[in-house]
Amino acid sequence: MDRRSIPRLLAIAAPILLLTVFLLYPVASVIVDGLLYGPGSSFAETLASSVTQRVLGFTFAQAALSTLLVIGIGLPGAFMMARLRMRGKSILRATLIVPFVLPPIVVVVGFLRVFGSFGLLDTLAMYILGTSESVLNLATGVVGIVLAHTFYNIPLVIVMVSSSLERLNPELEESAEALGATSFQKLRHIILPHISGALLAASILTFLFCFMSFPIVLALGEGRYMTLEVRIWYAFRSFDFGEASSLAAIQIATTLALAHSYVRLGRVEDVDPGRTAAIRRYGLDEIGIGYKVMVLVYLVVVGTLIFGPILAIIQAAIYDPFGGNYTLAGFANLIESGTGGGLVPLVNSLLYATLATLLAVLLGIPLAFAHRSRRSGIPTMASAMTLLPLGVSAITVAYGLMRMIAVPLGLTTNPWLLIVIAQTIIGLPFSARAIEISLRGIDPEIIEQADSLGASRLQRLFFVEFPLLAPGILAGGVFAFAMAIGEMSATLFIALEQNTTLAVVIYQYLGVRKFVEAGAAALVLVATCFAAFILIEKLSGEMSGGAL
Amino acid sequence: MLYNFDIKVVQTTTEYPVRMDPRITITAIVIVLTLGVAGIVFISLPPPSERPTLMVYTYDSFMVWGDNPDTIDSRAFGEFEERFNVNVSIQRLQTDAKGIITRLGVESANPVADVVVGIDNILILEPEVTDLLTPFEPPNLNVVNQSFIDALDPDHYVTPYDFGLVTLIYNKTSMSPTTYPQLLNLTFENLTDPTFAGALVTETPHLSSPGLAFLLTEITVYEKLLFENWTQWWIDVNEYIDVESGWSEAWEAWYYNPTKHILNSYGTDPAYSVYFYGGEPDTGIAAIYHDGEYYAWMQVEGMGLVKNGPNPELGKLFIEYCLNETVQSLIATNNWMFPVRSHVTLDPAFVHALHPTEVSLLNELLPRAEIAANINDWLDTFDEIRTP
Repeated sequence: MDRRSIPRLLAIAAPILLLTVFLLYPVASVIVDGLLYGPGSSFAETLASSVTQRVLGFTFAQAALSTLLVIGIGLPGAFMMARLRMRGKSILRATLIVPFVLPPIVVVVGFLRVFGSFGLLDTLAMYILGTSESVLNLATGVVGIVLAHTFYNIPLVIVMVSSSLERLNPELEESAEALGATSFQKLRHIILPHISGALLAASILTFLFCFMSFPIVLALGEGRYMTLEVRIWYAFRSFDFGEASSLAAIQIATTLALAHSYVRLGRVEDVDPGRTAAIRRYGLDEIGIGYKVMVLVYLVVVGTLIFGPILAIIQAAIYDPFGGNYTLAGFANLIESGTGGGLVPLVNSLLYATLATLLAVLLGIPLAFAHRSRRSGIPTMASAMTLLPLGVSAITVAYGLMRMIAVPLGLTTNPWLLIVIAQTIIGLPFSARAIEISLRGIDPEIIEQADSLGASRLQRLFFVEFPLLAPGILAGGVFAFAMAIGEMSATLFIALEQNTTLAVVIYQYLGVRKFVEAGAAALVLVATCFAAFILIEKLSGEMSGGAL
Repeated sequence: MLYNFDIKVVQTTTEYPVRMDPRITITAIVIVLTLGVAGIVFISLPPPSERPTLMVYTYDSFMVWGDNPDTIDSRAFGEFEERFNVNVSIQRLQTDAKGIITRLGVESANPVADVVVGIDNILILEPEVTDLLTPFEPPNLNVVNQSFIDALDPDHYVTPYDFGLVTLIYNKTSMSPTTYPQLLNLTFENLTDPTFAGALVTETPHLSSPGLAFLLTEITVYEKLLFENWTQWWIDVNEYIDVESGWSEAWEAWYYNPTKHILNSYGTDPAYSVYFYGGEPDTGIAAIYHDGEYYAWMQVEGMGLVKNGPNPELGKLFIEYCLNETVQSLIATNNWMFPVRSHVTLDPAFVHALHPTEVSLLNELLPRAEIAANINDWLDTFDEIRTP
């Protein structure tokens, strides 16, 4: 082997090795252990149980339904986002991504306040109908679960598809029009083929997230509707490790198949893509009255669905439901150190998420390069490793990490490092993919020029490739940060009192009815992520959605 | 030839800036990052201490419902810290007792905690739980009435800490006994009426100990008092009853949703309301009625010594200490349970609580061995009925 290629191989092998140790090994060993030695039900018994079958059916059905709804509602939004010229678009786009990074528990609270019985919508309906009986409860059962999933994932479709649409080369549209194509023909033969990759990728990702859904189903499912993940949690708590492992194995097989197709779609090269934001745009004054009305109706519906819960969180941060007055006590709590204060969780959140982001980017860069490696097997292994975190539930990851890594090494007395590792793993798919997409956009001629000008490998990396990758690294970093700071399930499982983060403490505050404190903490999370997304838009001039 | 030409191009552009060796930049960045991270981590770590630390794992809401939850740990356990020159670290894990057991199980090869508080008289029946504990009988156990020890654990894997009565409560302002006299002698039969079933909120037995106690209440009443099959009641109320994921969620649904009036909770709730808001309690107690008597499920919460914990001697002293007057007298108005120590003076608000003398205990009708043998089947059947 060429001696100079050893460092490069090491750089590429490092993330794969680390993921094997901190993800593959712990998860695989706890599942195999549970399947082989239990205690509890065997794989066959688990499959034969009618409850398992119903849960499996419901998990698929609700995920499919949610995905359809997300596409149906999200697609027009994606077109509007790409086609319309309007002011404040970057702010709108940053706001749109906020739901995606909210901790689920916050989503649940905001959602109940808007769509639950005696929530905002219900109160409005009661006022219109002049009744004091609740008339509208969209926040429980199947309706609640599907709507909450829609709220959560619409941003994916809007942002990913509009990002692809904006790259539609205007020349194509013009040629089609010159040849006399109708709008429908244009849509059918030019636009749909152009966005199909992004649309499918967004659908798969949405399906994946709904399939893995846990806190939303737990909170809105009335103890009746369960996803596989909820069932795993129940089995795990009843010490039925056999059933938990069997269900987790089914879950991983399903999600990995989906995740695999997601990555393959990301690889499909665009045919003659336009530059960023190349698509023809229209001002609001240039479109017909019919379209204007449609845009308006759409904005009201989606606005309620997406901004309603966010506004409810803002209100919850300053309104004390017991005293019936407005207060800043929630924010005061966030700078209070000591027991029960919010300062420690705030600092922890920022510290862990920053460290996890650094790690996710540091590991994401070589992983992205590994995707491009010409050595056979490496790209497949790299993409499998990148995707695994999307397909394994956070709780399984946390449990595996605790049992197989932390306990033998004695890390459990102060498990902060473990939380950082778990958060890194959860953010890695996003950072690696963003960097890989941006790597794909580098013109190979530039690299060849650098080589022929005698740049060393390191110089080429630092002065040519990194500057070109900067927008991707930034976007990936921000997504990893958002995923990390919003992470609750794994952190909840691992953390001791000194390690609690904002996402965890929100859950705790809600449990002891400190609603204002919970609202303020949630608002800080929302604001942090919002600021980070605005930052990507401003710094890179790129849209953050391209990274997904 | 082409190669030479390329070289020439480079040499002609002499203004081209001289690039530094990136290795220096990398090293600098790595050093700065490492120092920065190490600094932040160092600051965020708790200061090292000369004294040993006793780790106590407990559930999220342990003793936090009083006037001043921020200082409760030092008021309750400060004396212990002084006397034995240790730090007591009360780890309120963001989960319930069952979740704590899961964690203890994960850590069993290398335990972190010394004592666990909150294992109740149903959870202790799981063999996985006793596997993680060392039996211990504190020398001052005689301050606890034998009935609590028998109800919780005659084998002394756990020592009683406090107890409470799980019962139905109702909102007096929205559902008064004058319009619904059934509330005064409430039966499960009454609860199948859609008016009542639709007003009832409880917790899932999978995730909540009062929720599990409610399921056992229902099973005991049907199987041991009425001699009927317990499953029919759940089938009857299935479409009406609200089963939430935990006690807090259930309380919230009951408090905010004007169509919900009855909650599965604890018999101390009216006392809580009087203690904090004064006046007459706004909640009433509807203990299950059968044939001239009222019934409730008694939940006894215990403390256990973690097997192979780092400080077993301190752990034993801690369990003993928790039975003393200081700690036991704080339980009533901070945890809203009853102390297990005899002759502890309760706050006057407790006249509004449901007392064990006022009800027959359903626990006494359902032997521990029977629960242990059947609990998984009962939960499976419950899931079969509930899962659509």
